[in-house]
Amino acid sequence: MTNTLFNWCFKKSIWVYHVNAGSCNGCDIEILDVLTPYYDVERFGIRLVHTPRHADALLVTGPVTRQVRERLLRLYEATHDPKLVIAVGSCATCGGIWHDSYATLGGLSTVLPVNIYIPGCPPRPEAILYGVAEALGLVPKKVTEQVFVEA
Amino acid sequence: MFKHTISELKEALICLEAGQVTLKYPFAPHAPDINFRGKVDVDFACCIGCGACANACPAILISVNDGDDGRTLFFELGRCTFCAACHDACPQKAIVLTSQFETATSNIADLQIRLILKLVHCRECGQVVNTQRAVDLVREQLGQDFGGLAWLDLCPDCRRKMALQDPDLMLEVVA
Repeated sequence: MTNTLFNWCFKKSIWVYHVNAGSCNGCDIEILDVLTPYYDVERFGIRLVHTPRHADALLVTGPVTRQVRERLLRLYEATHDPKLVIAVGSCATCGGIWHDSYATLGGLSTVLPVNIYIPGCPPRPEAILYGVAEALGLVPKKVTEQVFVEA
Repeated sequence: MFKHTISELKEALICLEAGQVTLKYPFAPHAPDINFRGKVDVDFACCIGCGACANACPAILISVNDGDDGRTLFFELGRCTFCAACHDACPQKAIVLTSQFETATSNIADLQIRLILKLVHCRECGQVVNTQRAVDLVREQLGQDFGGLAWLDLCPDCRRKMALQDPDLMLEVVA
């Protein structure tokens, strides 16, 4: 039921609010790349907005520092339901190289329920496009867990 | 006024000449550059479980644990920075760099690789010596006639004890 509603809501266009949660700016620059005419996400109806109250999706970069946790929760509450949370970059996905630092919480999933992870350091613009398209259900998932056991 | 119109017309012509610059991606495939480093893949047939990749990884995403069911190499690729240090460190060339970048997923477990390799335990004290594949590799590379290779399934401590008890073995190794 929730899933159907979710798919119906995000069929046309999603407006994105970009949150920097302690990122080094690498991922942020790649996100800016996605907005240029060369990649042109506006053809999917995706655009950046200036306030979480207008947004359908939170695009979070960075390993989530301790300082930013409170602000991130407030942004999440300010965004209307139903909402997508997209983790961009290795830091937001699992904490990156800061996963065991005292100053970070080690990834976005420790604070918010994440809908889609886009790993990469930074992810190339095509990877971000693919991730957002996957979140919208336009393209299939291409990775699976691999387990090998010696016989 | 007239001058302005001319320059605007010129600009319009330039824009027409440029044509469409937007990528067709994701509706058409887009191959990255030949030097692009994408998702790391492991060739399970080659891996001997030595753990050199785990030592080299700056993000410490590879963990090596010995358990009852063998040695587990666990790759948490969500943290990967694509530096390829593991690829350079691997003596068996088991780590393959692919150009795959479409790694977005809703489940973090999709970015994990788990290898489980059989272990050899010391025949005297029962401690872990190495993986079966690493021991087999040593046996293959040294040849059967090198000191009989009776010490291969012994831990370092028991090897020393054995060498002390059997001085001929030491001489044979030196010779």
